[in-house]
Amino acid sequence: MNFLHNYIYYIGAFGLIFIGIFIIIVKRNYIKVIIGLSILETGVNLFLISVGYISNGTAPIFSKAGIDAKNMVDPVPQALVLTSIVIGLAVLSLALSLAIRLYKHYGTLNLQKIKEQKW
Amino acid sequence: MNEMISLNPVLLIVVPLGLAFLAPLLGLVSKKIAKWLPVVGFLFNLIVALTILPHVLKQPIIVKIAGFSPPFGINLVAGPVGMLLATLIALTGFLVAIYSLKYINKGAEQKYHILFLLLLTGATGVVLTGDIFNLFVFFEILCIASFALVAYLGNRAGIESAVKYLIQGSIGSSLLLIGIGLLYGQFGTLNMADLAKQIVDYTEPSVFVPMVLMVTGLGIEAAIFPLNAWLPDAHSSAPSSISAILSGIAIEVGLYAVIRVLFTIFDVSNFFMFFVFLGVLTILIGEMSAFSQKNIKRMLAYSSIGQIGLIVFAFSISTQFGVIGGLFQMISHTLGKALLFLSAGYMIYRTGSMEISSFEGIGKKMPFTALFFTIGAFSIIGLPPFVGFSSKFLIVKAALAKGELLFIILVGIVLLGTVIEGTYFFRVIQTMYFKDGNNEIDKKESPITGLIPMFIFAVLIIFIGVYPDFIIKILNPAASELLDKVEYIRSVLG
Repeated sequence: MNFLHNYIYYIGAFGLIFIGIFIIIVKRNYIKVIIGLSILETGVNLFLISVGYISNGTAPIFSKAGIDAKNMVDPVPQALVLTSIVIGLAVLSLALSLAIRLYKHYGTLNLQKIKEQKW
Repeated sequence: MNEMISLNPVLLIVVPLGLAFLAPLLGLVSKKIAKWLPVVGFLFNLIVALTILPHVLKQPIIVKIAGFSPPFGINLVAGPVGMLLATLIALTGFLVAIYSLKYINKGAEQKYHILFLLLLTGATGVVLTGDIFNLFVFFEILCIASFALVAYLGNRAGIESAVKYLIQGSIGSSLLLIGIGLLYGQFGTLNMADLAKQIVDYTEPSVFVPMVLMVTGLGIEAAIFPLNAWLPDAHSSAPSSISAILSGIAIEVGLYAVIRVLFTIFDVSNFFMFFVFLGVLTILIGEMSAFSQKNIKRMLAYSSIGQIGLIVFAFSISTQFGVIGGLFQMISHTLGKALLFLSAGYMIYRTGSMEISSFEGIGKKMPFTALFFTIGAFSIIGLPPFVGFSSKFLIVKAALAKGELLFIILVGIVLLGTVIEGTYFFRVIQTMYFKDGNNEIDKKESPITGLIPMFIFAVLIIFIGVYPDFIIKILNPAASELLDKVEYIRSVLG
């Protein structure tokens, strides 16, 4: 129980990452693959946040007297996650706009049926 | 004072990035401006890079953004390797931008030029950055711009390849980010030099796992053998000017990132046999697949895989000569493959087909373009006096200097790859010159904006091929920078 309590964020994060990868590998519908990518990204972001998280910590600002630097949450991962969310948004919107064009050309989003390019 | 301003490597990233965001505003004034922005931006970059390069060879320039000294804050490390590749990127960007002036004449032209600027901004950022998170960010700029550019033509093949590329590229960047997170969690720093200082033993599981994740993530962009499924589709479906950039710059930058991570951050020393085999396998797979292609752009794309394998092989020898050979091969591949894609671009444009058989008789109708294609092909095969000969010669020499039987056998396989390469390139050349096309369609020579960049690439290929010492003088300190981790840490952290 204690283990779960301490590592719940990591378990959740890697759970999401594996679910995402599983969806990308197994699903054939392109929209579902995009959803998988999104879940994977969420998992990575959650993981990054939990790296710097301290429960009951404070913001890293010396606003009041007597705040100890030990209890401050690390701000760097949060900056990383902000950046990575923005990048994720760009990838997601590009992927969705490609989905529209893909459907126009092929009339299907099933990636198994779209196989014109071969080795 | 004036000199100080022109010496700042930040300009190499800021100027193209600024121009990219300025493009829509300037587009309000005139639609014609957008296509000149890459030309101006990369000419500026080329001049700045060439001014900085001699200074960097003596001592790396460390740029501290906002005045925070490393390991705090963000820093750029303009060492010999970084500046050499930045110069190469600026040169290729400039020449391909000239080529694009006329070649890109349909579709959303303005967006093409914006994405082109962003792609090369990302590439320059990757080679100059000094911390792994910015490596990720610049990498994503490069990737997203190239996903969009692969789909630029909007045809069936383009969209399909872009979708494949996007899925694989996104998985790769997620893996890279997990690796970065794991490293940050353990060492509390993102600075490459600081990480390199703190990591003592890469075989510990807690360091080995992030290393594998990072190398796999970056390896997808670098197209090392099991991770290269996206490459032939993406490189053959993009517009030819973009294929030149993807083949000449994007995979090279990916490979640089792999090498930087392995050599500098993790200081891998006895793990390289794995990469030697991976490199040789990549050569064989790439060249054999290229051999069986009938589509010229797919053939060139597979040939890129083979060349990447050769570069991986050279770096994995991990001696001074091996690394010099690898960097030299990067340069010769960029020049040769960019020339091949640019000349093939207009040959495809004029004949309207990517089939090699449709190039019959093109040697007479488009003599200059065909000549430049031949020069590029000879350089990639490695015939003297072209640059490809010097670089391949160095690699073979470095491998034989190892003195082990295994390496001698592997060199034999590498040379077998070169023979296969020669066969399929000569087949194209034979089709161009010695078969009479019976089609009566009037095929004109490429326009002057196409011929000038090809001419400059061809001149560089011959010039460096005849005087390799000229470039080896730069490669020597570059190889030492990659191999000497202690010196790198000292120059960054002081």
